Amino acid sequence: MLVLLAGGLSTVFSQSVQLKFHNAFVITAMVVCVYVSSGNSGVISFGHVSFVAIGAFAAGLFSMKAQQKGAVFNDLFPFIKDNHLGNLATLILAAALGGLYALVVGIALVRLNGLSAGIATFAVLGITRNVLRNWTKVGPGAKSIPGVEETTGLTQALMALILCIVVAYIYQRSAAGRRLRATREDAIAAQGVGIRIYRERLIAFTLSGAMAGFVGAVYVHFLGSVSTDQVYLDLTFLVLAMLVVGGVDSLWGATLGGLSISFINTLLSEGEKGLSLFRQKFTLPTSSSGIILAALMAIVLLTRPKGLANGREFGLRGFRRRDSI
Amino acid sequence: MTERPGSLHATALSRTYAGVRALEGVTITVRRHEVIGLIGPNGAGKSTLVNLLSGFDFPTSGSVMLEGFDITTWSAHRRVRSGLVRTFQHGHAFPGLTARENIEVAALGTGAARGVAARRATELLELMGLADHSNAEAATLPHGDERLLGVARALATMPKFVLLDEPAAGLNEDEISAFADIIKLVRDERNAGILLIEHNVPLVLGVCDRIHVLDQGETLAEGSPTEIRNHPAVADAYLGATAG
Amino acid sequence: MRYVQYFIDAVALGSLYSLVALGIGLIFGVMRLINLAQGELLMVGGYTLFATNGWSVFVRVPLVLLVIVGLALLMERAFRRLRSAAPATMLVMTFAVSFLLRSIAQKRWSAQGKSMNIFSGLSHAFTVGQLRIRYVTLVSIAVGGVLLLGVNLFLNRTDIGLQMRAVASDRRIAQALGVRTNRVVVTAFALSGVLATAALLLFVPQRPTVTPDFGLQIAIVALIGVVVGGMDRLAPATFGGFSIGFANSMVFSLLPTGQRVFLDSVLYGLVIIVLLLRPQGLFQRERQTTRV
Ligand SMILES: Nc1ncnc2c1ncn2[C@@H]1O[C@H](COP(=O)(O)OP(=O)(O)OP(=O)(O)O)[C@@H](O)[C@H]1O
Ligand SMILES: [Mg+2]
Repeated sequence: MLVLLAGGLSTVFSQSVQLKFHNAFVITAMVVCVYVSSGNSGVISFGHVSFVAIGAFAAGLFSMKAQQKGAVFNDLFPFIKDNHLGNLATLILAAALGGLYALVVGIALVRLNGLSAGIATFAVLGITRNVLRNWTKVGPGAKSIPGVEETTGLTQALMALILCIVVAYIYQRSAAGRRLRATREDAIAAQGVGIRIYRERLIAFTLSGAMAGFVGAVYVHFLGSVSTDQVYLDLTFLVLAMLVVGGVDSLWGATLGGLSISFINTLLSEGEKGLSLFRQKFTLPTSSSGIILAALMAIVLLTRPKGLANGREFGLRGFRRRDSI
Repeated sequence: MTERPGSLHATALSRTYAGVRALEGVTITVRRHEVIGLIGPNGAGKSTLVNLLSGFDFPTSGSVMLEGFDITTWSAHRRVRSGLVRTFQHGHAFPGLTARENIEVAALGTGAARGVAARRATELLELMGLADHSNAEAATLPHGDERLLGVARALATMPKFVLLDEPAAGLNEDEISAFADIIKLVRDERNAGILLIEHNVPLVLGVCDRIHVLDQGETLAEGSPTEIRNHPAVADAYLGATAG
Repeated sequence: MRYVQYFIDAVALGSLYSLVALGIGLIFGVMRLINLAQGELLMVGGYTLFATNGWSVFVRVPLVLLVIVGLALLMERAFRRLRSAAPATMLVMTFAVSFLLRSIAQKRWSAQGKSMNIFSGLSHAFTVGQLRIRYVTLVSIAVGGVLLLGVNLFLNRTDIGLQMRAVASDRRIAQALGVRTNRVVVTAFALSGVLATAALLLFVPQRPTVTPDFGLQIAIVALIGVVVGGMDRLAPATFGGFSIGFANSMVFSLLPTGQRVFLDSVLYGLVIIVLLLRPQGLFQRERQTTRV
C-alpha cells in the first residue's frame, strides 16, 4: 500500500515536492518507534527523541570524512574524529547505540508510571540535548554537523518505514508483546498471572530505542546536516501528537497519524513557498502552516478523541474492528 | 518453623493498616490435593489473607512458606511462576481482551509458547462453560462469567496452589453445583491445593475438606465441615444467620 | 554572606515558579488536565505589554489581566469537550493549543524578541551590608506569599472554593451531590489566569523580552516542578514549583562558571533521582498503595 502511495504521489507532485515526502516516511517511522514502547505499554515517553538524536549524531559524525572532522570539530575524542563509516555501517551503529542507551535509561526508568514516567523521560531528553550541545568531545556543540552523505532517498526512507512497521507488528504479535499489552489493560491482573511488568517494559523500551536510533541515522542521511535543535522539543511534541491523533493503541493508528499529519505538514510548508498541484498554483500566506496544522490536530482530537484509527488494527485479512493482543 | 514440603503454609500472619488490625496472628496450611474453605463475615480479613499469601500485600509480621521456601517477601509474579496463583474478588479481567485472549495471555505470562497457550485456552473455556463467550470482550461479560473467567485464567498458569476469592458470587444454583464439580476436578486431576473464599454455606460445606473461620482478623475455628457446622461460636458469628 | 545572597535570589525565583505551578495544579485538580498551554497565557500577556509600551500602568495592568483571564476562559471552552477523554489525548490537545498560539504569535510578531517594559523601577537594587537585593526580589516573595495565602483562603473559606476541593477529590461524586462542575472549572481557569498575570509581571524584570516560546519554557519548568512535588494535591504541587525554581537558581549560583552550561543536566538529573525515590511526589505524605 505504501508503495502504491509513493507511486501515486510521484504522479501528482513535482520532483522537489516529492523529495520532501521522504521526510514524511522517516517521521512516521519515528512515530512507530514510540508506539512500540508507549503504545503497547500505555506509559507515555517524552524521551524517545533522545534515541533518535543519539542515532542521528553518531551516524552524522561517523559518515563525515576524517580530515573534514578535524577541521570543524577538533575537540572530538580521537576514535570519533579519526574513523569514517559507510551508509549501512552508520545505520547499524546507530541502532546499536540507540538500543544500548535505551537499555541503560530503561533499567532506571521503566519502573515509573504515568506522569512521573513522562517527566523522567523528558528529563532524559533534556540531559541528552544539554550534553550533546556542550560536551564537544562527543558532539558538535552549538554548531550543526555539515555535509552528511544524503543516502536517504525514496528507497531508503520507505524501506526504513516498512522495516519499522514489520518489526513493530512482529513484536506486538509475539508472546512478549502480548504480555506487555496485558499489563496496559490491567497491571494488577497482569501480575496476578505471573507477568513481570518491569521486564516486559524494558524489552519494549530497548527495542524501540534501537529502532529510534536507526531511524535517527536514516533521518540524518536525509537531512544532510543536523543540529541539536532539530532533534529536541518540536520533534518530540510533533511525534507524540501524531501518535495520539492517529490513535495510541494500535500500530495502524501510529502509522496513519504519522503519515497523514506529516504529509499535510509537508504540503502546507511547501504551500507557503507556492505549490503546483494538478498544474494549479497555490500559495499560502507565510508562516500560516503551523496555525493550520495545529487547528487541524485540535479538530481531530475534539471530534475523534480516540484518534483517527479508533482502535482498528492492521491484520492479515484487512482491518480488525477491535484492537487486540 | 516446621517445613512442610508440598504445602503452602503461613505462620502467625498479621497485617495492620494505619493502626487498624485487618489480620492478627493467623496460621493456616493448604496442602496439595486439598480444598480449604475460608469463611467469615464481611471485613473479617479473608481478602487480606489472600493478598498476603499471593504477594499483593505484605505482612506486618509473620511468614509465608511455599514448599519449603520462605516466600514472604517475594513479588506476586514470582509466586505465580512458582505455582501459587489467585483470583480477585473484584474482577480484574483484562477488559479490552476477549475471554480467550485473557486465558492465553495468562499462559504466556508463565512462559508457555503460543501454541500451548492457545490449546490451554480452548480446554479451559470448555471446562468453565465459557466456550460460547470465547470471542466476547471481557468487559461485556456478566459478573458471574467474569469470575469464572478469572478462575480459568488462574488455571492457565498451571498452578500447584489456587486462592479463589469469592469465585461463585453471582452464579445461580445450577451454575454453583457445576462450579463445585470443577473445584473437585481441579483438586483431583490437577492435584492442586485450593483455598476457597465463599459465602455460600452449602457450597463450602459440600466441597471443602477442611474449613478455616476468620472473625475480625483472627482465627475463630478450624476443622472438618462437620466440626465447623457444629461449632457453637461459628454458628453465632457467621453460620447462624445464613444456615439457620 | 555569598550563600545568603544565593538563597535570597533562589527564593525569589522559586516564588515565581510557585505561582505558575499553582495555576497548573488548580486546573489539574478540577479536570485532571495538564495544561501545557498555561505558558501561552504569559506569552500573550507579554505581547500585550509590548503592544502597550508607554501607556499608563493603570491601564496596562488591568488590560493584561483581562486579556490573560479571557484567554484562559477560551481555553477552558476548547478543553471542555475532552473532560472524559484519555489523559494523553487531553495533553496533546493542550499541546495543539499551545502550538496554535505560538504559531499565531510567530506570524504576527516573528521569532525576534520584543521588549516589554513595565515597573522598570523594580529592577533597581539596594544593598544591605554585602547583600545586593533587587526590589523585584522582595516584591516577588511578597506577592507570591500573598497570592498563595489568598488562594488558600479562597479554597477553604468560600463556597465555590469548597466545591472546587470537592470536585478535585472526586468529580463524579461531587457532580452527583449537585456541585455545578462547569462553574467550578471555569473559576479554576479564571484563577489560574490571575496567577499567570502576577507571574508574568514579576518575570518581566528578569526576562524583559517576549518571544513566541517565552511561556513554553516557563510552563515546562513549572510542570516538571508540579509533578516532582506531587500532582494530586495543591500544596505539594505548589511547593514542587517553588523547589524547581529554587533549585534552578541555587544550582546555577553554585556551579563553577565554566560548568554552568551543564545546569540543565544537573537539574534534570536531580529531577530523575527525586522521581525514582519518591514517584508519588516529593511532598506527598505516603505512597498510595493500590488496594486489591
Ligand atoms: N489496603 C487497605 N487499607 C486499609 N484498610 C484495609 C485495606 N485492605 C483491607 N482493609 C481493611 O481490613 C479489613 C479486612 O478487609 P478484607 O477485605 O480482608 O475483608 P473480607 O473478609 O475480604 O471481607 P468481604 O467479605 O467483604 O470481602 C476491613 O476492615 C478493611 O476495611
Ligand atoms: Mg474480601
